Amino acid sequence: MQRFTSALFLLGLGLLITAIFQHMDFTGTLPIAGDAINAAAAQQTGAANFVTAVVLGYRGFDTLLELTILFTAATAGGLVLGKPRAGAKHDPQAGFILRAGADLFFPLLLVVGLYIIVHGHLTPGGGFQGGVILAVAFFLPLLARPGTPMSHKAVSLIEGLAGASFILIGLLAMFGGEAFLTPMLDKGQPGELLSAGSLPLLYIAVGLKVGSELAGLLAHMAATEASDA
Amino acid sequence: MNNLALMIALPLIAAFLLPVINRVSSLAARWTGPLVVLVTSVIGIMAWTQLGANAVAIELGGFRPPLGITLYADQLAVLFAIAVSVGTLLLWPDDGEDRIRQSTLTLILAASGSGLALSGDLFNIYVLYELVAVVSYGLVASKGTPGSLAATMRYLIVSAFGAALALTGIALVYQATGTLNLAQLSQLAPTHLNNMQGLAAFVLMLVGFGVKAELFPVNTWVPEVYATAPARVSGLLAGVVSKLALLIIVRLLVLVFHQPEALQIMLVLGILGVVTGELAAWRARDFNRMLAFSSIGQLGIMFIAFSIPGQAGIFAGLAVALHHLLVKPAMFLLAERWGGSLAKLAGVAHSSPLGAALFILLALSLIGVPPLPGFWAKLLVMINLMAQESSLYTLGAWIIMGGAALEANYLFRVAGSFYHRADGQTPPAAHRPRDLATAALLGATLAVGMFVIMPLAEQLEGVADQAADRDHYVQTVNPEALP
Repeated sequence: MQRFTSALFLLGLGLLITAIFQHMDFTGTLPIAGDAINAAAAQQTGAANFVTAVVLGYRGFDTLLELTILFTAATAGGLVLGKPRAGAKHDPQAGFILRAGADLFFPLLLVVGLYIIVHGHLTPGGGFQGGVILAVAFFLPLLARPGTPMSHKAVSLIEGLAGASFILIGLLAMFGGEAFLTPMLDKGQPGELLSAGSLPLLYIAVGLKVGSELAGLLAHMAATEASDA
Repeated sequence: MNNLALMIALPLIAAFLLPVINRVSSLAARWTGPLVVLVTSVIGIMAWTQLGANAVAIELGGFRPPLGITLYADQLAVLFAIAVSVGTLLLWPDDGEDRIRQSTLTLILAASGSGLALSGDLFNIYVLYELVAVVSYGLVASKGTPGSLAATMRYLIVSAFGAALALTGIALVYQATGTLNLAQLSQLAPTHLNNMQGLAAFVLMLVGFGVKAELFPVNTWVPEVYATAPARVSGLLAGVVSKLALLIIVRLLVLVFHQPEALQIMLVLGILGVVTGELAAWRARDFNRMLAFSSIGQLGIMFIAFSIPGQAGIFAGLAVALHHLLVKPAMFLLAERWGGSLAKLAGVAHSSPLGAALFILLALSLIGVPPLPGFWAKLLVMINLMAQESSLYTLGAWIIMGGAALEANYLFRVAGSFYHRADGQTPPAAHRPRDLATAALLGATLAVGMFVIMPLAEQLEGVADQAADRDHYVQTVNPEALP
C-alpha cells in the first residue's frame, strides 16, 4: 500500500514537473524587481554592495527572521541534545601541529572575520559570512584541545545582546515615527567605510549573533559524549 | 496602527534576551514570556477596535512595495494575530525540562505566527512559515522520549519536503511575474498566471503549505506527533498553526489564483481529508490519535468550505476554523492526562466529573448538535455547498454529513464509556488545575458564543467581506509599477 501511494505521488509530481517545463516561458520576462533595485539602491540606502542593500534594507525583515531561524535551530538543538553525563570521556588531545596551527590561525581568522563583517556594505560578504569565520576562530581551538571549557556565559550574552540590538535599531526607527527597521543615520558617500547609515551596524549585530550562535552550537555538539569506538 | 509590527518585534526581542535574563533572575525569566504575549494580545485587540472597513498596509523599512516588504492588516489578519498571541498565552509551557528553552521557542512561535497572519509578501511568508516549522520541531520534541524524537524526525522530513514544494511554487510565480508582493501579484495574475504554470505553482504551494494545514496526502505526520508531543503543543499546532497555513492558501486564492481548477483540486483534497480523517478516527483506539484524526477531518471540512467561490466560502470556512480553534486545544488539554488507550477511560466521569462534562460539551459542538456554535458553522457550510451548481460540491455536502455521523458515533462511544462502571481499574491521574481551567475557559467561551451567535455571525461576515475584497487589498497596498 505504501509503495503504491509513493508511486502515485511520484507520478503526480512527475506530471507536474513535466507540465511546468512544457509551459514555462524561458525567454520571456526577466525579474523586473532587479532592475528597479539596481536603479534605486545606491541612492535609497547608500550601500555600494547592492546585495547588502537588499538583505538589510529592502528585505531587512526577512534577514531578521532568517537570523531567528538559526537561533531557533540552536535552541531546539540544545533542547534535544541535552547535557553530557558527568565523567563522560572526551576525545584525546590533537597532536602538536594541529594545536600550534590552531593557535596561529586564531588571530588571523578573527581579523578576517571582522573585516568581512565591517565591509559588508561595500564588498561581497557581510554578517553571515564573517560570522561563520568568527565561529570557526573560536571552535578551532576546541577541536585541537577537546575538553577545554568554552565560556557559555559570554557566548549567550553576546548572542542575546547582538540579536536584541538588531531589533532595537529597528524599534528606534519606529519611535522616531518611521516604520519598523527603517534605515537611519546619514547615508554618506557610497563606497566609503562610514556610509549606508545604520546598515553596517545591523551587519555587525548579525555577524556577532551568527558567530556566537554557531560557536555555541558547535561547542555544544562537541561536548556531547565521545563515542566509545 | 504602525505598532502592529510590535506584535512580531516584541516577542522576538524577548526570545533573544530570555537566556540573558535567566542568568540574572530565573523568576523574571519565567514571567517575561507570558507578559510579552499578554502585551501583544492587548496591542492586537486595540488594533482590532480601531480597524474599521479600511485595512492598513505597513511598509517595513520605509520602502515602497514591491521592493520593500509590506504587512497587510485587515480584520482577518488581525483576528488571527490575536488568536496566536492569546493561544500561546493560554497554552504557555509551564512544566517539563528546560523551561527557558521552551519559553524561548514559544515566544518565537508567537512572533512568527503573528507575522504569518499579517505578511503581504510571498517570500516573507515562506521565511515565516519555515520559522514556524523549525519552532514546532523543537516544541514537539521537547519531551525527549524516544517516541517523540522518532515522530519529530518524520515530521521534520515531511515538513521540509513540503517547504521545498512551496518554495518551488513561489519560484514559478516569481519567474512568471518578477514580483513577490501579493498586491502586485494580484494585478499581474490575470495576464501572467492564468495558465498551466500558474496552476502548477498553486498546486505546489497548496501541498507545501498544506503540510501544516493537515491537507490530505501530506498529513501522515499528524497522528504520531499529536500522540507523542506535549498536549499544549498539540493544541497549538492543531488549533492555531494549522489555521495560519490555511489563511495563506485562502489569501493566495483570493488574490492570485482565480482558475476554477484551483478550487476543484482543493475541494477534492478536502473531501478525501474528511473521508480518511473521520474513518481513521472512528477506528482509533487511542485518545490522542482519535483527536488527531478528527482534526484532519475538521480541516478537510475547512478546505471544502474555502473551495466555495467568493465571499460565501470565506465566511463559512472562517466559521468552522474559529470554532475548531476553540474546541481542539481544549480537547488536547483534557488529553494531557487521558492520553493512551481509550479503554482506560471507562468510568472516568466518577473521578473527574468536570472533565467529562467539558469533553461532552466540546464533542457535541464538534459534531454539530444545535444550538451549539459548531452546528451553525456546519450549517453555513452545508447551505453554501448546496447553493453551488457543480455536483462535486453536493458530494462535499454529503461527505460532511457522513463525517458528522461517524464523529457522533465515535465521540459518543467515548463519552458513553466515561459513565460505565470502572471494574477495579485505577482511574487516570487528575487533571492539573491550570489545564482544566483553560479547557473550561475555552468551553465557556463556546457556550457564551451560543447566545450571541447572530451578532457574531454579522461580525464574521464583515471580516469575510473585507477579506474577499481583492480591489481593496490592491488599493491599500498600492504597489508601484515596475519598469
